[in-house]
Amino acid sequence: MTRFLPVAAATLALASSAALAQQVEPIEFKLDNGMTFLLLPRDEQPNIITAGWIAPTGSTHEHPGITGVSHLLEHLLFKGTDTVGTTDADLDRQYRAQLTELREKMRAVTLDVQYRRFLNGEIENPWDPEVDTPELRDLRAQMSALQDKQREITVKNEFDKIYTGNGASGMNAGTSNDFTVFYINLPSNKLELWAWMESDRLMNPSFRELDAERFVVIEERRQRLESTPTGMLDERFDSMFWIASTYSWPVIGWMSDLMAYTEDEITEYFETNYQPANLTGVIVGDFDPADARQLIESYFGRLINKRPPPAPVVTHEVPMMGTLRFSGECDCQDQIEVRYHAVAAGTPDQAPLELLAAILNGRTGRLYKSMIEDKGLAASARAGSDTQRYAGSFSFVATPKGKTELETIEKAWYAEVNKLKNEPVSDNELQKVKNQAAADAFRDLQNNSNLFFQLAISEAWGGWEYLNEYPKLIQQVTPEDIQRVARKYLGDDNKGVAVYHRKQGSELVLLTLDDVKSSLPAEMLPVIMPQLEAQLDELKTATDAEELRQALAQMEQQSAMMPPQFKTMMDYVKQEINLRITEIEGGAQ
Amino acid sequence: MNRSCMTLAAGLAVVVSGAVARDIPKSPRDIKFKELVFEPPAPSQFRHQLSNGVPVYMAVSHEVPLVTITLSFKGGEYLEPGDKAGLASITGQMMRQGGTTTVPPKELDERFDFMAARVSASIGDRTAQASINCLTANLDEAFALFMDMVRNPGFDTGRLEVLRGQELEDIKTRNDNGLQIALRELGFLMWGQDHFEARQPTRASIESITPEDMKALHDRIFNPANLMIAVTGDFEEKDMIAFLDKAMAGWAKGQAVPEVPAPTQAYEPGVYYYEKDQNQVQVLIGERGIRRDDKDAVAVDVMNGILGGSGFTSRITNRVRTEEGLAYTAGSTFSNRVEYPGMFISYFFTKTPTTALATRLVFDEIGKIQKTEVTTEELETIQNSLIETFPRNFESKNAMMNLFISDERTGRDPSYWRNYRKMVRDVTPEDVQRVANDHLNPDDTVVVVVGPWEQIQKGNVASEPDPKRQATMEEFGAARQIPPRDPETLQPAKP
Repeated sequence: MTRFLPVAAATLALASSAALAQQVEPIEFKLDNGMTFLLLPRDEQPNIITAGWIAPTGSTHEHPGITGVSHLLEHLLFKGTDTVGTTDADLDRQYRAQLTELREKMRAVTLDVQYRRFLNGEIENPWDPEVDTPELRDLRAQMSALQDKQREITVKNEFDKIYTGNGASGMNAGTSNDFTVFYINLPSNKLELWAWMESDRLMNPSFRELDAERFVVIEERRQRLESTPTGMLDERFDSMFWIASTYSWPVIGWMSDLMAYTEDEITEYFETNYQPANLTGVIVGDFDPADARQLIESYFGRLINKRPPPAPVVTHEVPMMGTLRFSGECDCQDQIEVRYHAVAAGTPDQAPLELLAAILNGRTGRLYKSMIEDKGLAASARAGSDTQRYAGSFSFVATPKGKTELETIEKAWYAEVNKLKNEPVSDNELQKVKNQAAADAFRDLQNNSNLFFQLAISEAWGGWEYLNEYPKLIQQVTPEDIQRVARKYLGDDNKGVAVYHRKQGSELVLLTLDDVKSSLPAEMLPVIMPQLEAQLDELKTATDAEELRQALAQMEQQSAMMPPQFKTMMDYVKQEINLRITEIEGGAQ
Repeated sequence: MNRSCMTLAAGLAVVVSGAVARDIPKSPRDIKFKELVFEPPAPSQFRHQLSNGVPVYMAVSHEVPLVTITLSFKGGEYLEPGDKAGLASITGQMMRQGGTTTVPPKELDERFDFMAARVSASIGDRTAQASINCLTANLDEAFALFMDMVRNPGFDTGRLEVLRGQELEDIKTRNDNGLQIALRELGFLMWGQDHFEARQPTRASIESITPEDMKALHDRIFNPANLMIAVTGDFEEKDMIAFLDKAMAGWAKGQAVPEVPAPTQAYEPGVYYYEKDQNQVQVLIGERGIRRDDKDAVAVDVMNGILGGSGFTSRITNRVRTEEGLAYTAGSTFSNRVEYPGMFISYFFTKTPTTALATRLVFDEIGKIQKTEVTTEELETIQNSLIETFPRNFESKNAMMNLFISDERTGRDPSYWRNYRKMVRDVTPEDVQRVANDHLNPDDTVVVVVGPWEQIQKGNVASEPDPKRQATMEEFGAARQIPPRDPETLQPAKP
């Protein structure tokens, strides 16, 4: 998530000359209403602009009961405004008021009757339409009828259509724990359209289609989290790892809260967090800054601060005081994660922690060399330093190779950690990752949207100037710094461990010859295997399915007399015969 | 090579402040925009040729001191022997990981990493690539090492076993993700399990791959007869040709690879389901599509933009997502092929009970675009979008060079980009309806559904109060089960 722009000169030990120091210097100004703007003209991509704005508001500013509201609001801000998205603004407002009333009734019934049924263990999900009481079903039908009427005056996705028809592309937004950002690519003559559309949605947003959008977000939740191999367990582990911090709930929100927000709660959240004094606009690309400034002042100058500024985040994370362990099963590869509390973005230990992760990663990194190549324990292994606005973490994630136990990989990781604590890293290792950071500095300058995100996020987190500062800090890191941060953060009293195993019996798996080999006593292998392989070769050319069925029946009869160590082998042979029968009979592919 | 300085600093620009406020129009449609004039650059401006005949497309930019050189070869997975699925992908990866015949893999990696050079090699379905991005200051050394890797890969056996182990772990997870299953099964049904578009590696095919197999495939693809080069970034044009000529010295021209084989299998339409316990269902609806150079290709693109290909602006997304809230992802796409007709796919992911309703809505939209003309407003929105975003195809120099290379390799009509915007503008509502009828055939589709079938079948009757919105899977005819497959062999697993 955190991607800072390293720009400074690097001393490349092998490079013949030092790279030039390059500074990103946007034009910065603040409107009277407090909205900040950063403009960065750049002509390398002719005719194109990336423009957008950021609010330093994310799930971390929510509280239980409204988790996920930042993200839902991000969706709702695409629904149009009082005038964009409807053919009859007055009637639309009336429908919205009636819908709000029905929604409040349904919410009251659900929180009372359905929650009671839920607590009594009668139903699994109080918000599920399948368990509606007759009263709820009736209210839901009324709502549905009203929505159909509203649809007659709704111009579907008009907000998007206006942009699309004008050649804008990549319109999107993103919500994280710490910020919400809206952005789009435009032809360079369409900057005024952007100013019109964005200032209108910040002034007069309409949360029409709120109820349908809730279900869209629930589908998003299912798609991103619940039907991915590790999504559900990751969410639980995150929630356990952050003890007091507001990072402990998912950005997309808990399912119960998603169904429960009222329109008032959403409006209040919007008016508090999206008022101009809390926002930064950023424009990068092929445009005239004087012209842009004039547009900005006319359009965004209209925004008004309606409420007191958002409350600061008060609750900070507490020390872990031990090791938290989490284990679960999923339809996934076996996997282990060891994660430590580390530091927030913009703090002095950010640079050494990032370089520490770099020293561990890649094919010339320590993890590949020791765990993957030399010892053959892991199929994959990587470390990461994740610095967020209010806290950060350092993690190690690996998947095993073959039958390696996760415990073995965990121990191998602690051995790496001890090495980092006991011996300083070599100058060569450190120089390599500094060289890479310096080259990446240039790579990150090469397109408008990269520059847009780096400016927007660093400004939201305290000031874009850090973009030019951070690369210098990277080049100043010493082997002693790396050793110090390893000792300080990678301790046993400061970690969470998540262990995931593949759910047993969740799918049918075929036996392999390797399974047979490992099930037989070693001394019998030379005798049995050649015979078995000869039989299997014969089976490949068999053409009479009936004959094979008889062979199967015969094996069934004999199976009672077989010593137990032959069971896997017999199962394997039966499986192969069955497969051959399917093949002969041209069964389903 | 020279390096030149750039300034991103705009701090010096004079900014007028406090100028007269503008009048703000009531509707965004009333804003007057300056005209933007853009003509697509001609490939010939960038095209050069090496003395061995290899085409080179290059574009200089001194913004940052980096150079990117991409070697692009014709040839790919379609050249694999039938029982060696996975060979192409592994060969590409091993070129990068396996050292050269004279430089051991660890040393090669250390040298590239220390120079902070980003180097990649890969073999895809039809084409293969090797590319390097490095600081201008390191270009001589890094590029020499890179060419050694491309021409004389070592295919180190130790590294092969590491990679093989990783691939074998990977194939174990092939049934973990519903979308991956849906795409695989749709491919099997539409192209046939043995056609390279759909073919999947198995434990046996991965275990059988040897360094000799890799060398043989490498030698067929990676030679000048199949090669085109793109160079972008911080270099001097006048020096580059000589620089590349030198790197080609002694490289036998070799033989051009054969053409891509067309699929031979006809597919059987119908509903197919794959049983998986999950709380969101993936549905892919596929049918035969069109060739890239089909005379209707532009009109089809416009039609699909209205139907399901342009996000929120398109009908399927509007209906399934915005109006009914049934899915986060819903839409349609034409994936065209140069050599033979490609595939048309409509798709959505929804909760179990609403699978049938969403399927009905998608078929409704396909029927509607065939039966009734689209409105001029819808048509113009998509036309304007395609026309106004047109310059983005040429936005990045690297992408532009690679576009020219792909066009030359696949023999695209040289006037295509010049005429593109006119072709889009000329599409009429009648054209849209005609191509929807000529190229969409809802009775001839393969519907792949992944999820808990028993509940999917029943639909939303229990939860939906509105009878118009109640649907079960019965309305799409009899469904066939795709037997669950063992992830490593992909053979049907017996319960």
